[in-house]
Parts: sequence; C-alpha cells; structure tokens
Amino acid sequence: MRPSAKRALRPGSAKPSGRGDLRPLFAILWAFLLGLASASAGTLDRAGIERHFPAPLVVGERDDKIPVWPILKQEAGSYEVIAYAFESIDFARIPGFGGAAPNLLIALAPDGSFRDAKVLSHHEPVFLEGLGSEPLFAFVEQYVGLSAKRPIRVGRPGARANGAPPATTVDGISMATASTRVVNETMLAAALAVARAKLGFGAGPAGLRVEAKPAFEPLSVAELERRGWIRRFTVSQSQADQAFAGTGVEDADPGEEPFADLRIAYLNVPSIGRAILGEAAFARLMRELGPGDHAVLVVSDGRWSPIPDDFVLGSIPDRVTIQQGGLAVNARDAAWERRDLAPSLPAGPWTILKITEAAGFDPSAPWTLALKLTRERGQIFPEKISREISTDYALPPELFLRQSPDAGPDWTESWRARGWELGVIAAGLGLLVPVLVRQRGLVAQARPFSLFRLGFLAFTLGFVGWYAQAQLSIVTVVGLVRAAFHTGDLGFLLYDPPSLLLWAFVLVTLLVWGRGTFCGWLCPFGALQEFAAWAAKPLRIRQVAVPPPLDRALRQAKYLLLGLILGAAALGSPLADSLGEAEPFKTAITLYFLRSLPFVAYALGLILLNLFVYKGFCRYLCPLGASLAVLGRLRLLDWIPRRAECGSPCQLCKVRCRYGAIAPSGRIDYPECFQCMDCVTIIQDPKQCVPEVLARRRAHRAVPQTVAAE
Amino acid sequence: MSASGIRLRPAPERRRILAGAFGALAAVASGPAALRALAGAQGRQAATRAGLAFGTTVSLTLAGARGADLEPAFRAGFAAIRAVEAAASLYRPDSALARLNRDGSLDDPDPLLVEQLRFALDLAAASGGAFDPTVQPFWTLWAEAAARGERPDERALIEAVARVGWREVEISAGAIRLARPGMGVTLNGLVQGYAADRVLAALAAHGIADAFVDTGEFGALGRHADGTPWRLGIGGPRRGGDLAAVIEPFTGFAATSGDDATVFSVDHRDHHIFDPATGTSPQALSAVTVTAPSGLLADALSTAAFVLGPERGAALVVRYPGCAVRFTAKV
Repeated sequence: MRPSAKRALRPGSAKPSGRGDLRPLFAILWAFLLGLASASAGTLDRAGIERHFPAPLVVGERDDKIPVWPILKQEAGSYEVIAYAFESIDFARIPGFGGAAPNLLIALAPDGSFRDAKVLSHHEPVFLEGLGSEPLFAFVEQYVGLSAKRPIRVGRPGARANGAPPATTVDGISMATASTRVVNETMLAAALAVARAKLGFGAGPAGLRVEAKPAFEPLSVAELERRGWIRRFTVSQSQADQAFAGTGVEDADPGEEPFADLRIAYLNVPSIGRAILGEAAFARLMRELGPGDHAVLVVSDGRWSPIPDDFVLGSIPDRVTIQQGGLAVNARDAAWERRDLAPSLPAGPWTILKITEAAGFDPSAPWTLALKLTRERGQIFPEKISREISTDYALPPELFLRQSPDAGPDWTESWRARGWELGVIAAGLGLLVPVLVRQRGLVAQARPFSLFRLGFLAFTLGFVGWYAQAQLSIVTVVGLVRAAFHTGDLGFLLYDPPSLLLWAFVLVTLLVWGRGTFCGWLCPFGALQEFAAWAAKPLRIRQVAVPPPLDRALRQAKYLLLGLILGAAALGSPLADSLGEAEPFKTAITLYFLRSLPFVAYALGLILLNLFVYKGFCRYLCPLGASLAVLGRLRLLDWIPRRAECGSPCQLCKVRCRYGAIAPSGRIDYPECFQCMDCVTIIQDPKQCVPEVLARRRAHRAVPQTVAAE
Repeated sequence: MSASGIRLRPAPERRRILAGAFGALAAVASGPAALRALAGAQGRQAATRAGLAFGTTVSLTLAGARGADLEPAFRAGFAAIRAVEAAASLYRPDSALARLNRDGSLDDPDPLLVEQLRFALDLAAASGGAFDPTVQPFWTLWAEAAARGERPDERALIEAVARVGWREVEISAGAIRLARPGMGVTLNGLVQGYAADRVLAALAAHGIADAFVDTGEFGALGRHADGTPWRLGIGGPRRGGDLAAVIEPFTGFAATSGDDATVFSVDHRDHHIFDPATGTSPQALSAVTVTAPSGLLADALSTAAFVLGPERGAALVVRYPGCAVRFTAKV
C-alpha cells in the first residue's frame, strides 16, 4: 500500500538561506581584510642580550640604525668585535606552521659565520609539547660554525652523516619538515639582512638565487645578436668626444671609426654560452664557476679595448664595470684562456668577467656595462680625465629559474615529493563522492556499504592520517586567524600539500553536505574511534545514555572551546597553542602516540570514552568539528531524505542514529550529522524503513486474511 | 689609542694591533678587582659601555656614586658619538661628509661638519699644507692597488696629487663646495678626537665629573672610581712591544698617529697617513702622540706632526698652548 510513499521523499530540496548563517563567514572575511601585520619588534633589551652573552663577553651599544648588538671581547684594555647579535623577528618575519613567525637569537661573526643560534620563541605545533622543543634547539645549533655566505639547505634526518655537504646542509627532523624549513629560511634571511648592513656582503636580493635554465636552443651568433642576447654596443668617435664635452679634450683622440665596438653576453645561459664558446669549453667554464657564479663576456672591435695592454689576468678590470641597481657588481677577470671564441665574433681583445654568488648579482634583471674612457690633458704632467659611457643589457626573465631559498624551492619541492600521495588521496576522494551521491546505489545495500565504509575508514586512518600525515587540525584554523590578525601570510599552507588538498575538498563538501563529510569519512582520529568501537563490540559494552538536557549542553562545549582558541589566536596569545592540545590528533595521528604520558593518556582516554559515549570527543569537544559545523551552516542541500512518517510516528532513524543528530520530530540536525549514511541506508531499504515495512505488511496481510476467513 | 689620518674602510684588526702597540692599560677601563673593591668601599662605582663607531670599537667608562643611574649619561655619550658620525664619518654612506664627497657640494651642511672642516682648513694653513683634509683620493688609489697586491704607479700618484688641495674647499654661508671634480675630503685625521670632545662635554652636562673615553683617541675627566688617577699607556712602535711610557695622571686628551693602523705594506712603509705633496707615507716616524686641551687639537696635531717629521712637527705643536708631543722614530 501507499505506493506514493516514495514520492514523499524530499531529497535535494534547497535550503532557504540568507539568515544569520552568513555571519561567521563575514567574520572570517573581515578578519582577513584586517590582515594588518602588527609590527611586533624584538623582545630582548640590553639585560636580555647580556644573559645570552655573559661576561667576559661585552654587549656593546646597540647600533643606532638597525636593532643589532655588537658583541665584543676585551683584551688588554681595548675591544674586538666577535659577533653581531640580533633577533630574527626584526629582520625576517616568516610565519611558521602555526601561523606565527619563530624568533631566533642569532650571532653572526664578522667573517659571516654563525657564532650562535638559539630559539627565543616559536609556535611550531609539532614542537610545542609534541616532539618537545629540544629537537628544535638541537636543529638550530647545527648552524653554529656554518657560513651565512652560502645558502644552507635542510636535508633529511641524518643527511650530514650520509654524505650531504656539511657546510651547506643541516639535518632535518622527521615529522617536522615544514617547521624546520621555516626556521632555516628565518636563519638565512635574517643573517643576510644583517650581513648586508654590517659585513658588506649579500648586496643583492636577500637570499635570492637566480640561475639560467638548462634549456638549450641552437642559435647562431647572428640570431643571438638580433634578439639582443648578445648585445652589440658601438660608440662612435663623435659620441666619445661628446662625453668629454667641456673638458678641453673633446677632440684629443681622433682615429678611425668606430671608436668602440663591443659584444656583451651573459654566458651562463646555455643557448648563449654554447654558441659563443662551443659545447666543450662552455661545459668547462660552467664547471669552473662555482654554483651561483656568473660569467659575462666582453669582446671588442674598434680602437678602444676593454682591457689595457698591460692587463693582469685575473684582476679586476677598471675600464669596464658591471652595475646593477645603481651599485657596482664585483666582477673579476676569469683568467680564461684566450681562445675558443666563436669565429663570427670580433677577434679583438676580450675578457670573461666572473661574478661570484656573494655579489648578489641577478642576471634575470637588467644590468649595465659601464665603459671608462680616459684622456689626458696637458703635456708634461698630463692630467687624466675619465668619462663613463654605459649600455644596458637585459635577458628575458623566462631564461632563468629564480630560486629564493627563502620560499620557492621548498614548497614546490614538497608538492613534487608528495605528488603520488596527492594522487592516492585524490583517487580516494574520487571514489567516495559518487558513493555518497548515489543514495540508491551502494548506500542502499547495507552489508556491502558497511564493508566499503570500514575499508574507506581504514584508508583514512592508515594512509591519510598515519602515512600522509594529513590529519586536518584546529592548528591550521589558528594559523589562519593569526595570519589574518598578525602576519598576513598564508604561505605556511603550501608546505603541506595533502592537507591543503583535503581542506579544499572539505570546504566544497561543507557547502554541499555540511561537516559530516570530513567528520564521518576523512578524519583519521574519527576513524580510529570508530575502529575502536567496532573492535570492542564483542565486549558488549553498553552505551551510557546521556540525559538529553546534558547532551544538549555538552554539544555547546565545543563551540565555547573554539571561541576561546580563536580569540586567543586573534589576540596573539600563545594560549591558542595550549588550548589546541584539547585536540588529540597530534598525539594519536601525527606522533603515533609516541609522546609524553599525559598526552597519550588523554588520547587513549578519549578513545575509551568513545566506547561508552560514541564519538564523545567529536560531538562535545572537537574545536575543528565545531568550526566546520559553524561553516557548515552555509550548506546548500538538505540531502537526507525524509518521509512524512519520519518522527511521527516513526522513530527508527532517530533511535539508530549514533550521533543523536535526528530530533524526535524527525528533523536532521545537520551540524551534528557525521554523514555515516545509516539513516539513508534504512530509508532506502524496504526491509528496514518502518513505514515501508508496515505498508508491505498491510498489503501482505490483506490477501491471506480473506483466505483465513474461509 | 689610535692613529688618525685617512681611513675609509673599517679595519677590524686595528684594535688588536693597537692593543699591543699602544695598549691603554687595562686598569684604565675597568680597574683591577682589588681597586674596584676599594672603590666599592668608598661608595663609588665605575661602569663601562662599549660600542662601534668610526669603523672601530669605542668605549666610555664613567665613575660615579654607587647607586647613581649612569644610563642617561651613557645614552648622551653615545648620542654625541652618533651625531659626530652622522656629520663626518666616512664609514657611513649617508653622512654629511660622504654626501659632500659624492656630490662635490653640500647645502645647509651639518654644523658639526662645518666646525671640523674649518678647523682642518685653519690647521692646513698653519702647517703649510702638511695637514690636508683633501687627501682622500690617495686612500682610494692605495686601497685599490693594495686589493690587486700592487702599489699605485707613478702616473696615477701624480694624477691624484693634482686632485688634492685644501685651498679648493670653499665654505660659504650655507654651503660647502669642492672646486675641482674628483676631489675628496677626509676628516679621519681629527674626527675621533673631536668625538672625544663632544662626548666629554655631553657627559659633563649630565653631571659626570669622572670619565674616561676611548673614541679611537682618548679623553679623560677627573679620576677613577677608586680615587686613583686615570692612567694612559703609550705603546712601543710595534705590537707586542713594551709600553714606552705611561701618562699618569691622565686628564685632557691624547691622540696618536702611527704607521701601525691600516698598512699597505708589511714593512709599514705604506700606510694610511699621506704626505699631501707626494701621495706617499712620510718615512721619518713610526708614531706621534700629542696631548692637548682638546681632542680635536690632539688628533689633528698628531697627524700634522707625523707628516712634518720631528723638528718641524715639534715646532708646530709648541705654537699651541697646553700641547705636548712625543715622537717615536721609524723602526
């Protein structure tokens, strides 16, 4: 009977929107707009610095231009500078994984080496009570003795013992890859900034390393000249005379035209260097240059020569200067043997200028070659008069790889390295979505669906959680709030590709289905609880019935906790990190329970609680769940089908819902729904859904009744 | 104590060298523990604050009643040093002097720069050009040659001599101008002594009656915290040598110009003090120490006397009341 029962289903009805539900979103947008980087400066005063550099070291008067303290040593009544001490936060504010920048106390010796490095403060979640701060302290200590003149990379744990160059590598820490990189960037960027100001090196863009891409295109010298990759620069006699206008030697140097005819080329770009030097010589030159060094060729035709007759190989030529950004770049003759040049270039005198990495030269940006022309005035004691003529040189930036050790390679590297994990997670999500969409498909088949669910949760716990370390966490939300209020930098998100993928997916599903997709399917700790409950089934533990008023009150607790955490984060209080420990994810998933006893006991306690109050943590306490529930109010679909009988008279789904997300009226409390699909399975199963069972029974009964009457 | 003269770039080793060569006695700065204990018994204290200025280390030692807050005086002392640096330090690319050299002229010059430059030009006249604040082109020439491991060639030196001449510096109301292109002014021959003047004046304005300052040159007021006079050691001509003399009691100012500071040759033949007429270093002396009633005078006279040599140098110094000079022959 009641063949119309199916028509009573109301799937997919759009939820009326435009109520106060948008407020949380506005609050968050507003927080982002507020993203004012509050300029919190260094924390140490003279006494603070003196604590770190005690007698007999002497803390000198702070520099009047930049917050740097000279550290001196007294010897026989006079002083000697042994280091410059400073706080990284004053020079490089790089937000860490928790959204706030770590602050390091760094002492840089006059030779550019790290004399001291200590952590003053940090908000890296993995170290805060997780691994403990000791591994971070030990990590930072590795820098002592290394030179800030060379980029230092974070290797794998134990990299130095396994052959990584010890002068440019520090050992990483497993499970803290992103955090150690942030600390590394902070060290290098701050040290370079101070070195530029106090030690006179690192003049270029801080830490930026620009290298020619290895791509080779066979081009002729003529074609290179046409593109301007080999710059031809001609100075006529009259131009040279003009430069000397008003000096009395305007026409002291007549001769054939042209006065100077130069070819200028940046050799590191293979298409240029190989065309000029030939393949073998180009390879040799590149080997001879250190990593990050540059080579520039200047070859002349015409009367003027870039190098005088008595030029000493390997010295700094004074007739040609490379300038960039108004500053002279230190360039020295590379003492390269005088042959090997392409025959189509002029045969005049030439030099290959070598620019070392420390010069901070950026070949992808325009630079200038200045020629110094000198004439003499007078006969007996001739006065030398010099004038400069210069020409610009620029290559297309596409020829270069701009690597900032501060940011670029690190996050792209983690995306490359974790590409396959991303692929597996994406495949998992691609499997999940159609199953959840097609409610009359797998969902309707109780047993196969529960097997699918167990399988998927195993994937969530084992692969997403323990292997790929992609347990989403309130820590990220805290980071976002800190970024909005303090740092304005969301870069930290890029270091953890699997989590970012999941966040993107979860945000989309929030709009479609609500918080349940994450909480019920993609939260590794949630999966762990579900397995624990499943495994404990033979123990016949009975669920504790939480009285409804208490249940309602407890459900609000998670919002309170969320408010406290976000408030603390917005105020810049480290309390946010401590309160975030209410979340056992780090203990159970990130650190595999390898943590100090109180944390392990807490996490295990929650799992135990789950046996009596199913997913009690998720429903009552989880701040991440609370934040998703708040955002989930933007959900577009009321996607759980309902019948007219739901709630009145039928209470089956309400009773079977292990999350208490169905009101006695039959209404679904979506912010509490974990999308386990139990109620959908019931409603799709004519053998379970009470109205259908009754209808069938009535229809069934009708026929035999007449028979029985016989 | 230090050599004055021409110095453009920081010379980090300078302090070490000087500590051996002309090392002020350690007692000067902090006092031996026993003396400090004695000072404590008398209810007096001394404190030292070191810092970096003029491309080297500087330090101020103040003595005062125990419990007195010396912090404001330290701040004032260093502020005085920073003000002099902002006017006339060649180690600061943004100092008034550096801008003058870069642009060849300077409008509304810093009064501290004008005062030093006027003094320098007066002394140039009085010393017959032996002291010349326009010898900066020599420094550039020698420093570049030294970077190549060479000495500048004759022609380059002659060319540089043509760009040196104190008469080509014009100070008018509201502007300083260098008359010829390629000129450069250095006040390194007197700026550290001048800083000592300014620091002691600032300290005195804060009620400090006992102080010892090392701005590269030395100045002292009053006595040490324990009541003993300040002492200043004059080193022998080379590092590691014994002290040649001790000035005790030391009040007023003392400055030394020596061939030990920035050197261009291992035998100390070529260094940072130049004869304006030749562009090379004078060969008669290793060091000259002048004591004087002002740091400016002490510092500038020591440079002038170094160039002039013993006889003419002594003749110059006696013309200034309250000044004395001590020569150390070239070794």
